[in-house]
Amino acid sequence: MQPYYFSFRSIYPYLGDLAAAAEITLLLSLLAIVLSVAIGSGIALMRRSTSRLLRFFAGLYVEVMRNTPLLVILYIVYFALPQLGLRLSSFNAALIGLTLNSAGYMAEIIRAGLVAVPSGQFEAAFSQGFTRVQLYRHIILPQVFRTIYAPLGNQFIAVILASSLASAVAVEEVASWMQTVGSSSFRFFETFIIAAVVYLVLCQIVNLGRIAIGRWLFRQPEAYR
Amino acid sequence: MSAQLLAYTPLLLKAALVTIWLSWLALLIGAVGGTLVALARMSTFLPLRLLALLFTEFFRSLPILIVLFFVFFGVPLIFGLDLSPFAATTIALALHATSTMSEVIRAGLESVGKGQWEAARAAGMTYWQMMRHVIVPQALRVILPPSVGVYIATLKESSLASIIGYVELTKTGLLIRETMGSSFVPLLLLALIYFLINYGISLGGAALERRFHVNTRLMTAGAGQ
Repeated sequence: MQPYYFSFRSIYPYLGDLAAAAEITLLLSLLAIVLSVAIGSGIALMRRSTSRLLRFFAGLYVEVMRNTPLLVILYIVYFALPQLGLRLSSFNAALIGLTLNSAGYMAEIIRAGLVAVPSGQFEAAFSQGFTRVQLYRHIILPQVFRTIYAPLGNQFIAVILASSLASAVAVEEVASWMQTVGSSSFRFFETFIIAAVVYLVLCQIVNLGRIAIGRWLFRQPEAYR
Repeated sequence: MSAQLLAYTPLLLKAALVTIWLSWLALLIGAVGGTLVALARMSTFLPLRLLALLFTEFFRSLPILIVLFFVFFGVPLIFGLDLSPFAATTIALALHATSTMSEVIRAGLESVGKGQWEAARAAGMTYWQMMRHVIVPQALRVILPPSVGVYIATLKESSLASIIGYVELTKTGLLIRETMGSSFVPLLLLALIYFLINYGISLGGAALERRFHVNTRLMTAGAGQ
């Protein structure tokens, strides 16, 4: 067995690909985060609806998404939708899968935030003559935001990490870069370290950004830790 | 088609057992490793504390797929140690489970009031007596609910083994899909089996919680990879 020599030099030619890959990881995660917050909010509201049917389907959605592996969902989107006549690029398939999965978690986080607001607040606002929109805009959402701020940040990080699975459906992001460059140059240690640094940096940006913005927004440190 | 799928059902059930065994093994290693890391995090020796912190933060902000690629493709190349796909997946999952379990266990140990530790000391208990009779029984009630979540997460993550070619539940589903002329029905069945296993585990966990009279369900975020 030969000793292993580090050689970052042999990775140089691939760094251009890495930049493109990191861009795809970032874009995929950002879009999935934005879309899943939107869909998750809708599902969270459905879970509090007065309609029993809506509540049931929203609850079922959350349970299914939380109890099936993301990889299986990605494969279903990637293989099943084209058969149903919907042509999708790898990127779009990965985005849909990632969004559907993350929306289940977002819904739970947002629902927990809504539950934390005492029902007296709703009643008081209504008796003051607030409309539903005013109620949410001025009374409920500011309180919900405070509760969900920290878990939302964790979920953003989870989405960035989970975006690595897009490599399984042929999206050329950072994990896929690591595997292709590693197997063509036999430099798995170097590619691992570089890929790890990319993910660590992305996650730490979210993490430190959350703490910095939280410090600016909230007086109590519990809200952003 | 459904008759064909029915013929494959025993194969899928066997693969489900492989998946359960794989994730259970990773969770057990993660529980033992997590305990050690948690104790290191709470140690009075600063370097040990820093090392443990570094370990948890490192593996928490790294996609499991990256770790898996490194263990499976990199380790044989670098250390001349040939790992089977099973061993590689177990190691990658266990590393991640160790980092999450260490946080869960630390939160559990820290939930036991300082007075309890001091009282046990004052009563002349040795370290092990204190842990065995005072701390652990109380900490377990806090540790149990999130560890069920960690097990479900690990079980979902074990689907990544299919990417490096280990034939567990997901890979079996993909293989069946190919033999059945690229139908996506096996993938739906796959999702259903995962759902039933994980939902069963969470019901079991809830029963255990009632048994131990735990009423705090700690929320664990995560897109679940």
